[in-house]
Amino acid sequence: MKRKWIAAAALLAVGGAVHAQSSVTLYGALDTGLLYQSTSAASFSPKALNTGKVYAFKDGGVYSSIWGLKGTEDIGDGYKVNFKLQGSFNSGTGKLGLADAPGATAVFNQQTTVGVSGPFGTFDMGRQIAPMIYSMYDTDVRGAQYFGSILTAWLGLNQAAGWPGNSTNGPIGALWDDNALVYQSPKFYGASLALEYAPGGVAGQFQGGTRESAVLKYSNYGLNLAAEYYNGHDTNPSTTTVPTSLDNNRFYYLGAKYSFHDFSVSTSYSIGKNPANSSHVNYEMVSAGLGYRFTPAFRVTSGFYYLKDRNNSANHSDEFAVGAEYSLSKSTLAYAQVGYVNNKGTMNQTIVYGQPVAPGVKTTAAMLGMRHSF
Amino acid sequence: MKAMSAFRLVCGTLVALASIHAWPQSGETSAESNGAAMTAPGTTTAKATRQANRALRRKVYAAIVKHKEIDAGNISAIAKDGAVTLDGTVADAAQTDKVTEIAKGVPGVMSVTNRLIVKKPFGGQ
Repeated sequence: MKRKWIAAAALLAVGGAVHAQSSVTLYGALDTGLLYQSTSAASFSPKALNTGKVYAFKDGGVYSSIWGLKGTEDIGDGYKVNFKLQGSFNSGTGKLGLADAPGATAVFNQQTTVGVSGPFGTFDMGRQIAPMIYSMYDTDVRGAQYFGSILTAWLGLNQAAGWPGNSTNGPIGALWDDNALVYQSPKFYGASLALEYAPGGVAGQFQGGTRESAVLKYSNYGLNLAAEYYNGHDTNPSTTTVPTSLDNNRFYYLGAKYSFHDFSVSTSYSIGKNPANSSHVNYEMVSAGLGYRFTPAFRVTSGFYYLKDRNNSANHSDEFAVGAEYSLSKSTLAYAQVGYVNNKGTMNQTIVYGQPVAPGVKTTAAMLGMRHSF
Repeated sequence: MKAMSAFRLVCGTLVALASIHAWPQSGETSAESNGAAMTAPGTTTAKATRQANRALRRKVYAAIVKHKEIDAGNISAIAKDGAVTLDGTVADAAQTDKVTEIAKGVPGVMSVTNRLIVKKPFGGQ
Protein backbone atom coordinates (compact mmCIF):
# COMPACT_ATOMS: atom_id res chain seq x y z
CA MET A 1 0.00 0.00 0.00
CA LYS A 2 2.74 2.37 1.01
CA ARG A 3 4.65 1.47 -2.13
CA LYS A 4 1.60 2.41 -4.20
CA TRP A 5 1.57 5.88 -2.65
CA ILE A 6 5.24 6.37 -3.35
CA ALA A 7 4.71 5.31 -6.96
CA ALA A 8 1.80 7.74 -7.31
CA ALA A 9 3.89 10.55 -5.80
CA ALA A 10 6.73 9.76 -8.18
CA LEU A 11 4.33 9.76 -11.12
CA LEU A 12 2.97 13.13 -10.03
CA ALA A 13 6.45 14.55 -9.73
CA VAL A 14 7.34 13.31 -13.20
CA GLY A 15 4.08 14.70 -14.51
CA GLY A 16 4.90 18.08 -13.00
CA ALA A 17 8.34 18.14 -14.59
CA VAL A 18 6.90 17.25 -17.99
CA HIS A 19 4.35 19.99 -17.63
CA ALA A 20 6.99 22.70 -17.01
CA GLN A 21 8.75 21.74 -20.22
CA SER A 22 5.91 23.20 -22.24
CA SER A 23 6.57 22.66 -25.92
CA VAL A 24 9.12 21.73 -28.54
CA THR A 25 8.20 22.04 -32.19
CA LEU A 26 9.92 20.52 -35.18
CA TYR A 27 9.28 22.69 -38.21
CA GLY A 28 10.63 23.61 -41.61
CA ALA A 29 9.98 24.34 -45.25
CA LEU A 30 11.00 23.04 -48.66
CA ASP A 31 11.20 25.61 -51.40
CA THR A 32 11.95 24.20 -54.80
CA GLY A 33 11.69 25.43 -58.35
CA LEU A 34 12.98 25.62 -61.88
CA LEU A 35 15.00 28.62 -62.95
CA TYR A 36 15.87 30.10 -66.31
CA GLN A 37 18.42 32.90 -66.41
CA SER A 38 19.77 34.58 -69.55
CA THR A 39 23.33 35.15 -68.27
CA SER A 40 25.50 33.61 -65.59
CA ALA A 41 28.91 33.85 -63.99
CA ALA A 42 31.15 31.58 -61.97
CA SER A 43 31.72 34.15 -59.22
CA PHE A 44 30.78 37.60 -57.93
CA SER A 45 34.00 39.11 -59.31
CA PRO A 46 33.31 42.33 -61.26
CA LYS A 47 35.51 40.85 -64.01
CA ALA A 48 33.68 37.50 -64.17
CA LEU A 49 32.90 36.27 -67.68
CA ASN A 50 29.40 35.63 -68.96
CA THR A 51 29.10 31.85 -68.93
CA GLY A 52 25.78 31.92 -70.80
CA LYS A 53 22.19 30.85 -70.23
CA VAL A 54 21.24 28.65 -67.33
CA TYR A 55 18.36 26.22 -66.86
CA ALA A 56 18.56 24.96 -63.33
CA PHE A 57 16.85 23.26 -60.44
CA LYS A 58 16.82 26.05 -57.88
CA ASP A 59 16.38 26.00 -54.13
CA GLY A 60 14.71 28.99 -52.52
CA GLY A 61 12.49 31.15 -54.71
CA VAL A 62 10.66 32.60 -51.73
CA TYR A 63 13.06 31.79 -48.88
CA SER A 64 15.62 29.04 -48.44
CA SER A 65 14.63 25.51 -47.51
CA ILE A 66 15.01 25.16 -43.76
CA TRP A 67 14.35 22.93 -40.82
CA GLY A 68 14.49 23.67 -37.16
CA LEU A 69 13.45 23.05 -33.59
CA LYS A 70 11.97 25.59 -31.28
CA GLY A 71 10.58 25.57 -27.81
CA THR A 72 9.16 27.70 -25.07
CA GLU A 73 9.06 27.15 -21.37
CA ASP A 74 6.72 29.25 -19.25
CA ILE A 75 8.58 30.20 -16.06
CA GLY A 76 5.70 32.20 -14.57
CA ASP A 77 4.86 35.86 -13.98
CA GLY A 78 4.65 36.45 -17.72
CA TYR A 79 8.22 35.29 -18.38
CA LYS A 80 9.23 32.61 -20.85
CA VAL A 81 12.46 30.93 -21.82
CA ASN A 82 12.70 30.39 -25.57
CA PHE A 83 15.11 28.51 -27.78
CA LYS A 84 15.41 28.11 -31.52
CA LEU A 85 17.70 26.06 -33.74
CA GLN A 86 17.33 26.61 -37.46
CA GLY A 87 19.39 25.58 -40.45
CA SER A 88 19.09 25.93 -44.19
CA PHE A 89 19.79 23.23 -46.74
CA ASN A 90 19.62 23.00 -50.49
CA SER A 91 16.50 21.07 -51.50
CA GLY A 92 18.19 20.02 -54.73
CA THR A 93 21.38 18.57 -53.25
CA GLY A 94 20.90 18.29 -49.50
CA LYS A 95 23.92 20.52 -48.89
CA LEU A 96 23.98 22.66 -45.78
CA GLY A 97 23.88 26.46 -45.92
CA LEU A 98 26.78 28.86 -45.35
CA ALA A 99 28.15 30.02 -42.00
CA ASP A 100 30.06 33.19 -41.05
CA ALA A 101 33.53 31.66 -41.45
CA PRO A 102 34.63 31.81 -45.12
CA GLY A 103 33.96 28.57 -46.98
CA ALA A 104 32.32 26.90 -43.98
CA THR A 105 28.80 25.49 -43.59
CA ALA A 106 26.90 24.80 -40.38
CA VAL A 107 24.02 22.52 -39.40
CA PHE A 108 22.14 25.36 -37.70
CA ASN A 109 23.48 28.18 -39.86
CA GLN A 110 20.48 30.48 -39.44
CA GLN A 111 19.66 30.50 -35.78
CA THR A 112 20.98 29.07 -32.53
CA THR A 113 19.43 31.15 -29.80
CA VAL A 114 18.35 30.86 -26.23
CA GLY A 115 16.72 33.76 -24.44
CA VAL A 116 14.01 35.17 -22.24
CA SER A 117 10.83 37.04 -23.11
CA GLY A 118 8.55 38.93 -20.78
CA PRO A 119 6.91 42.28 -20.14
CA PHE A 120 10.29 43.95 -20.82
CA GLY A 121 10.42 42.56 -24.37
CA THR A 122 12.62 39.73 -25.65
CA PHE A 123 16.30 39.00 -25.31
CA ASP A 124 18.00 36.33 -27.43
CA MET A 125 21.60 35.15 -27.45
CA GLY A 126 23.36 33.28 -30.24
CA ARG A 127 23.63 33.27 -34.00
CA GLN A 128 20.50 34.85 -35.41
CA ILE A 129 18.90 36.93 -38.14
CA ALA A 130 20.07 40.53 -37.64
CA PRO A 131 17.27 42.94 -36.64
CA MET A 132 17.98 45.08 -39.73
CA ILE A 133 16.73 42.31 -41.98
CA TYR A 134 13.34 42.10 -40.26
CA SER A 135 12.83 45.83 -40.72
CA MET A 136 13.65 45.54 -44.44
CA TYR A 137 11.17 42.65 -44.64
CA ASP A 138 8.54 44.89 -42.98
CA THR A 139 9.07 47.73 -45.47
CA ASP A 140 9.33 45.84 -48.78
CA VAL A 141 6.19 44.73 -50.61
CA ARG A 142 8.27 41.80 -51.92
CA GLY A 143 8.98 40.81 -48.31
CA ALA A 144 12.78 40.47 -48.72
CA GLN A 145 12.25 37.25 -50.66
CA TYR A 146 15.08 35.34 -52.31
CA PHE A 147 13.91 36.30 -55.80
CA GLY A 148 14.11 40.01 -56.75
CA SER A 149 13.57 41.94 -53.53
CA ILE A 150 15.20 44.33 -51.08
CA LEU A 151 17.24 41.30 -49.94
CA THR A 152 18.79 40.58 -53.36
CA ALA A 153 19.34 44.34 -53.88
CA TRP A 154 21.13 44.60 -50.53
CA LEU A 155 23.19 41.53 -51.49
CA GLY A 156 24.01 43.40 -54.72
CA LEU A 157 25.50 46.15 -52.55
CA ASN A 158 27.58 43.51 -50.79
CA GLN A 159 28.81 42.06 -54.09
CA ALA A 160 29.77 45.55 -55.27
CA ALA A 161 31.64 46.05 -51.98
CA GLY A 162 33.70 42.90 -52.53
CA TRP A 163 31.71 40.05 -50.98
CA PRO A 164 32.83 36.82 -52.67
CA GLY A 165 29.68 34.96 -51.58
CA ASN A 166 31.50 32.20 -49.66
CA SER A 167 30.27 33.21 -46.19
CA THR A 168 27.38 35.03 -44.53
CA ASN A 169 29.85 37.62 -43.19
CA GLY A 170 29.44 40.38 -45.80
CA PRO A 171 30.94 43.87 -46.04
CA ILE A 172 27.65 45.84 -45.81
CA GLY A 173 25.23 45.11 -42.96
CA ALA A 174 24.40 41.49 -42.12
CA LEU A 175 21.66 38.95 -42.65
CA TRP A 176 22.90 36.74 -39.80
CA ASP A 177 25.32 37.56 -37.02
CA ASP A 178 27.32 35.13 -34.92
CA ASN A 179 27.49 35.50 -31.13
CA ALA A 180 24.79 38.16 -31.16
CA LEU A 181 22.90 39.58 -28.20
CA VAL A 182 19.63 41.06 -29.39
CA TYR A 183 17.08 42.97 -27.35
CA GLN A 184 13.65 43.68 -28.81
CA SER A 185 11.41 46.09 -26.91
CA PRO A 186 7.65 45.67 -26.71
CA LYS A 187 5.59 48.05 -28.86
CA PHE A 188 4.43 51.39 -27.42
CA TYR A 189 1.54 52.65 -29.56
CA GLY A 190 3.15 50.82 -32.47
CA ALA A 191 6.72 52.03 -31.87
CA SER A 192 9.52 49.62 -30.93
CA LEU A 193 13.27 49.43 -30.70
CA ALA A 194 15.73 46.59 -31.35
CA LEU A 195 19.34 46.71 -30.20
CA GLU A 196 22.10 44.30 -31.11
CA TYR A 197 25.61 43.82 -29.83
CA ALA A 198 27.90 40.98 -30.82
CA PRO A 199 31.19 40.67 -28.99
CA GLY A 200 33.93 39.67 -31.40
CA GLY A 201 35.91 37.50 -28.98
CA VAL A 202 39.19 38.51 -30.61
CA ALA A 203 42.03 38.13 -28.07
CA GLY A 204 43.63 41.41 -27.06
CA GLN A 205 41.17 43.56 -29.01
CA PHE A 206 37.98 44.84 -27.44
CA GLN A 207 36.54 45.99 -30.80
CA GLY A 208 37.85 43.10 -32.90
CA GLY A 209 35.04 41.50 -34.88
CA THR A 210 32.26 43.28 -32.96
CA ARG A 211 28.83 44.25 -34.38
CA GLU A 212 26.46 46.93 -33.18
CA SER A 213 23.08 47.77 -34.60
CA ALA A 214 19.88 49.60 -33.76
CA VAL A 215 16.49 49.48 -35.45
CA LEU A 216 13.59 51.80 -34.73
CA LYS A 217 10.20 50.69 -36.04
CA TYR A 218 6.70 52.07 -36.12
CA SER A 219 3.68 50.00 -37.08
CA ASN A 220 0.17 51.45 -36.97
CA TYR A 221 -2.57 52.92 -39.22
CA GLY A 222 -1.58 50.52 -42.00
CA LEU A 223 1.87 52.08 -42.05
CA ASN A 224 5.23 50.45 -41.27
CA LEU A 225 8.23 52.74 -40.84
CA ALA A 226 11.75 51.56 -40.14
CA ALA A 227 15.12 53.19 -39.55
CA GLU A 228 18.27 51.13 -39.10
CA TYR A 229 21.89 51.63 -38.26
CA TYR A 230 24.45 48.86 -38.50
CA ASN A 231 28.15 48.92 -37.78
CA GLY A 232 30.66 46.08 -37.93
CA HIS A 233 34.37 45.53 -37.36
CA ASP A 234 36.57 43.13 -39.34
CA THR A 235 33.73 41.98 -41.61
CA ASN A 236 34.06 40.16 -44.94
CA PRO A 237 37.23 38.28 -43.97
CA SER A 238 39.15 35.96 -46.25
CA THR A 239 40.40 32.65 -44.86
CA THR A 240 43.69 34.34 -43.90
CA THR A 241 42.42 37.68 -42.53
CA VAL A 242 43.79 38.68 -39.12
CA PRO A 243 41.28 40.86 -37.22
CA THR A 244 42.64 44.35 -36.47
CA SER A 245 39.50 46.01 -34.99
CA LEU A 246 39.00 47.71 -38.35
CA ASP A 247 35.64 49.54 -38.47
CA ASN A 248 34.77 48.46 -42.02
CA ASN A 249 31.02 47.94 -42.34
CA ARG A 250 28.31 50.57 -42.04
CA PHE A 251 24.74 50.55 -43.27
CA TYR A 252 21.87 53.02 -42.91
CA TYR A 253 18.32 52.28 -44.04
CA LEU A 254 15.02 54.15 -44.02
CA GLY A 255 11.93 52.37 -45.28
CA ALA A 256 8.16 52.62 -45.35
CA LYS A 257 5.26 50.41 -46.39
CA TYR A 258 1.59 51.33 -46.53
CA SER A 259 -1.35 48.96 -46.84
CA PHE A 260 -4.69 50.20 -48.09
CA HIS A 261 -7.56 47.93 -49.16
CA ASP A 262 -5.99 45.23 -51.35
CA PHE A 263 -2.95 47.33 -52.14
CA SER A 264 0.42 47.74 -50.55
CA VAL A 265 3.14 50.18 -51.54
CA SER A 266 6.68 50.47 -50.20
CA THR A 267 9.79 52.54 -50.61
CA SER A 268 13.23 52.79 -49.03
CA TYR A 269 16.55 54.58 -49.19
CA SER A 270 19.86 53.36 -47.85
CA ILE A 271 23.58 53.91 -47.81
CA GLY A 272 26.22 51.24 -47.32
CA LYS A 273 29.90 51.96 -46.98
CA ASN A 274 33.22 50.99 -45.54
CA PRO A 275 34.06 53.80 -43.07
CA ALA A 276 37.74 52.83 -43.26
CA ASN A 277 37.78 53.05 -47.06
CA SER A 278 34.77 55.12 -48.15
CA SER A 279 36.52 56.55 -51.20
CA HIS A 280 36.32 53.02 -52.65
CA VAL A 281 33.29 51.48 -50.96
CA ASN A 282 30.29 53.81 -50.79
CA TYR A 283 26.95 52.77 -52.29
CA GLU A 284 23.36 53.85 -52.39
CA MET A 285 20.21 51.73 -52.67
CA VAL A 286 16.68 52.89 -53.50
CA SER A 287 13.59 50.69 -53.66
CA ALA A 288 9.93 50.96 -54.56
CA GLY A 289 7.25 48.30 -54.43
CA LEU A 290 3.61 47.78 -55.34
CA GLY A 291 1.47 44.79 -54.46
CA TYR A 292 -2.12 43.81 -55.11
CA ARG A 293 -4.15 40.97 -53.69
CA PHE A 294 -6.75 39.64 -56.12
CA THR A 295 -8.17 37.10 -53.69
CA PRO A 296 -6.94 35.97 -50.25
CA ALA A 297 -5.20 33.08 -52.03
CA PHE A 298 -3.78 34.93 -55.03
CA ARG A 299 -1.37 37.86 -54.78
CA VAL A 300 0.95 39.74 -57.08
CA THR A 301 3.89 41.78 -55.82
CA SER A 302 6.38 43.87 -57.74
CA GLY A 303 9.47 45.82 -56.86
CA PHE A 304 12.05 48.15 -58.36
CA TYR A 305 15.58 48.23 -56.92
CA TYR A 306 18.28 50.72 -57.83
CA LEU A 307 21.94 50.57 -56.80
CA LYS A 308 24.53 53.27 -57.36
CA ASP A 309 28.26 53.58 -56.76
CA ARG A 310 28.72 56.99 -55.11
CA ASN A 311 32.38 57.05 -56.13
CA ASN A 312 31.89 56.14 -59.79
CA SER A 313 28.66 57.04 -61.58
CA ALA A 314 29.39 54.50 -64.34
CA ASN A 315 28.51 51.70 -61.89
CA HIS A 316 24.79 51.40 -61.31
CA SER A 317 22.07 48.79 -61.51
CA ASP A 318 18.28 48.76 -62.03
CA GLU A 319 16.25 45.71 -61.22
CA PHE A 320 12.57 45.04 -61.68
CA ALA A 321 10.89 41.94 -60.33
CA VAL A 322 7.31 40.74 -60.33
CA GLY A 323 5.91 37.62 -58.73
CA ALA A 324 2.55 35.91 -58.49
CA GLU A 325 1.84 33.51 -55.69
CA TYR A 326 -1.08 31.23 -55.15
CA SER A 327 -1.83 29.46 -51.87
CA LEU A 328 -2.83 25.88 -52.63
CA SER A 329 -3.42 25.33 -48.92
CA LYS A 330 -2.44 26.85 -45.60
CA SER A 331 1.02 25.35 -45.89
CA THR A 332 1.68 25.15 -49.63
CA LEU A 333 2.37 27.99 -51.99
CA ALA A 334 2.90 27.89 -55.76
CA TYR A 335 4.74 30.78 -57.33
CA ALA A 336 5.88 32.24 -60.66
CA GLN A 337 8.37 35.09 -60.74
CA VAL A 338 10.12 37.12 -63.42
CA GLY A 339 13.00 39.52 -62.94
CA TYR A 340 15.04 41.82 -65.13
CA VAL A 341 18.27 43.52 -64.15
CA ASN A 342 20.28 46.09 -66.09
CA ASN A 343 23.77 46.08 -64.57
CA LYS A 344 26.20 48.79 -65.66
CA GLY A 345 29.93 49.01 -65.09
CA THR A 346 31.13 46.64 -62.38
CA MET A 347 27.64 46.02 -60.94
CA ASN A 348 26.35 42.45 -60.76
CA GLN A 349 23.10 42.68 -58.77
CA THR A 350 21.54 39.21 -58.90
CA ILE A 351 17.90 38.37 -59.54
CA VAL A 352 17.77 35.33 -57.29
CA TYR A 353 19.89 34.55 -54.24
CA GLY A 354 22.79 32.24 -54.97
CA GLN A 355 22.76 32.47 -58.79
CA PRO A 356 25.39 35.01 -60.01
CA VAL A 357 24.71 37.04 -63.16
CA ALA A 358 27.34 38.34 -65.59
CA PRO A 359 28.52 41.82 -64.48
CA GLY A 360 27.79 44.94 -66.54
CA VAL A 361 25.10 43.45 -68.78
CA LYS A 362 21.32 42.94 -68.88
CA THR A 363 19.91 39.73 -67.48
CA THR A 364 16.41 38.24 -67.37
CA ALA A 365 15.35 35.40 -65.12
CA ALA A 366 12.15 33.46 -64.55
CA MET A 367 11.33 30.93 -61.88
CA LEU A 368 8.44 28.57 -61.23
CA GLY A 369 8.26 26.77 -57.96
CA MET A 370 6.52 25.75 -54.80
CA ARG A 371 7.10 26.16 -51.10
CA HIS A 372 5.71 23.75 -48.57
CA SER A 373 5.94 24.41 -44.85
CA PHE A 374 5.61 21.84 -42.10
CA MET B 1 -11.14 41.98 -67.52
CA LYS B 2 -7.64 43.29 -67.98
CA ALA B 3 -8.93 46.83 -68.50
CA MET B 4 -11.14 46.40 -65.47
CA SER B 5 -8.30 45.36 -63.18
CA ALA B 6 -6.12 48.17 -64.55
CA PHE B 7 -8.94 50.57 -63.79
CA ARG B 8 -9.22 49.17 -60.26
CA LEU B 9 -5.48 49.55 -59.87
CA VAL B 10 -5.52 53.19 -60.92
CA CYS B 11 -8.55 54.01 -58.78
CA GLY B 12 -7.09 52.19 -55.82
CA THR B 13 -3.81 54.05 -56.16
CA LEU B 14 -5.66 57.35 -56.32
CA VAL B 15 -7.70 56.45 -53.28
CA ALA B 16 -4.53 55.41 -51.46
CA LEU B 17 -2.80 58.66 -52.39
CA ALA B 18 -5.81 60.71 -51.43
CA SER B 19 -6.00 58.97 -48.09
CA ILE B 20 -2.30 59.42 -47.37
CA HIS B 21 -2.72 63.07 -48.15
CA ALA B 22 -5.85 63.44 -46.12
CA TRP B 23 -4.75 61.41 -43.16
CA PRO B 24 -3.11 64.01 -40.92
CA GLN B 25 -5.61 66.66 -41.87
CA SER B 26 -9.05 65.59 -40.86
CA GLY B 27 -10.79 68.76 -42.07
CA GLU B 28 -10.23 68.11 -45.76
CA THR B 29 -12.86 69.83 -47.87
CA SER B 30 -12.44 68.80 -51.50
CA ALA B 31 -14.64 66.03 -52.76
CA GLU B 32 -13.15 65.92 -56.21
CA SER B 33 -11.24 62.61 -56.41
CA ASN B 34 -12.83 59.26 -55.60
CA GLY B 35 -16.20 61.00 -55.52
CA ALA B 36 -16.41 59.09 -52.25
CA ALA B 37 -20.00 58.31 -53.20
CA MET B 38 -20.92 58.04 -49.57
CA THR B 39 -24.64 58.35 -49.77
CA ALA B 40 -25.39 60.84 -47.05
CA PRO B 41 -28.18 59.38 -44.95
CA GLY B 42 -30.82 61.89 -43.98
CA THR B 43 -29.48 65.32 -43.22
CA THR B 44 -25.77 64.54 -42.75
CA THR B 45 -23.54 65.96 -45.43
CA ALA B 46 -20.99 63.94 -47.40
CA LYS B 47 -18.23 65.77 -45.55
CA ALA B 48 -19.61 64.85 -42.14
CA THR B 49 -19.92 61.23 -43.23
CA ARG B 50 -16.33 61.15 -44.37
CA GLN B 51 -15.21 62.67 -41.09
CA ALA B 52 -17.19 60.09 -39.16
CA ASN B 53 -15.68 57.29 -41.25
CA ARG B 54 -12.18 58.56 -40.63
CA ALA B 55 -12.81 58.99 -36.92
CA LEU B 56 -14.09 55.42 -36.68
CA ARG B 57 -11.08 54.15 -38.63
CA ARG B 58 -8.76 55.89 -36.15
CA LYS B 59 -10.66 54.34 -33.24
CA VAL B 60 -10.29 50.87 -34.74
CA TYR B 61 -6.53 51.33 -35.09
CA ALA B 62 -6.28 52.77 -31.58
CA ALA B 63 -7.95 49.58 -30.30
CA ILE B 64 -5.75 47.22 -32.37
CA VAL B 65 -2.47 48.91 -31.47
CA LYS B 66 -3.11 48.29 -27.76
CA HIS B 67 -2.36 44.64 -28.48
CA LYS B 68 1.42 44.71 -28.64
CA GLU B 69 1.77 41.41 -30.45
CA ILE B 70 -0.22 42.66 -33.47
CA ASP B 71 1.38 44.80 -36.17
CA ALA B 72 -1.30 47.39 -36.96
CA GLY B 73 1.01 48.69 -39.69
CA ASN B 74 0.31 45.58 -41.78
CA ILE B 75 -3.45 45.95 -41.50
CA SER B 76 -5.70 48.10 -43.64
CA ALA B 77 -8.85 49.06 -41.73
CA ILE B 78 -11.48 50.94 -43.71
CA ALA B 79 -14.68 52.23 -42.12
CA LYS B 80 -17.79 53.10 -44.07
CA ASP B 81 -20.98 53.96 -42.21
CA GLY B 82 -20.10 51.64 -39.34
CA ALA B 83 -18.99 48.76 -41.57
CA VAL B 84 -15.30 47.97 -41.14
CA THR B 85 -13.27 46.07 -43.74
CA LEU B 86 -9.94 44.58 -42.68
CA ASP B 87 -7.29 43.81 -45.31
CA GLY B 88 -3.60 43.07 -45.06
CA THR B 89 -1.62 40.55 -43.05
CA VAL B 90 -1.20 39.20 -39.53
CA ALA B 91 1.46 36.98 -37.97
CA ASP B 92 -0.66 33.86 -37.40
CA ALA B 93 -4.15 32.42 -37.82
CA ALA B 94 -5.14 33.20 -34.22
CA GLN B 95 -4.53 36.90 -34.82
CA THR B 96 -7.00 36.91 -37.70
CA ASP B 97 -9.89 36.22 -35.32
CA LYS B 98 -8.41 38.39 -32.61
CA VAL B 99 -8.32 41.49 -34.82
CA THR B 100 -11.94 40.91 -35.87
CA GLU B 101 -12.93 40.63 -32.23
CA ILE B 102 -11.07 43.83 -31.35
CA ALA B 103 -12.68 45.75 -34.22
CA LYS B 104 -16.16 44.48 -33.25
CA GLY B 105 -15.58 45.80 -29.75
CA VAL B 106 -15.08 49.37 -30.91
CA PRO B 107 -18.17 51.54 -30.23
CA GLY B 108 -19.79 52.54 -33.52
CA VAL B 109 -18.69 49.45 -35.44
CA MET B 110 -21.75 47.64 -36.78
CA SER B 111 -20.07 44.93 -38.84
CA VAL B 112 -16.61 43.65 -39.65
CA THR B 113 -15.52 42.06 -42.92
CA ASN B 114 -12.32 40.14 -42.34
CA ARG B 115 -10.05 39.65 -45.35
CA LEU B 116 -6.81 39.30 -43.38
CA ILE B 117 -4.29 36.69 -44.40
CA VAL B 118 -1.34 35.18 -42.55
CA LYS B 119 1.99 36.67 -43.56
CA LYS B 120 4.87 34.49 -44.68
CA PRO B 121 7.41 34.80 -41.88
CA PHE B 122 10.86 35.91 -42.99
CA GLY B 123 13.17 32.98 -43.59
CA GLY B 124 10.71 30.35 -42.38
CA GLN B 125 9.27 30.50 -38.89
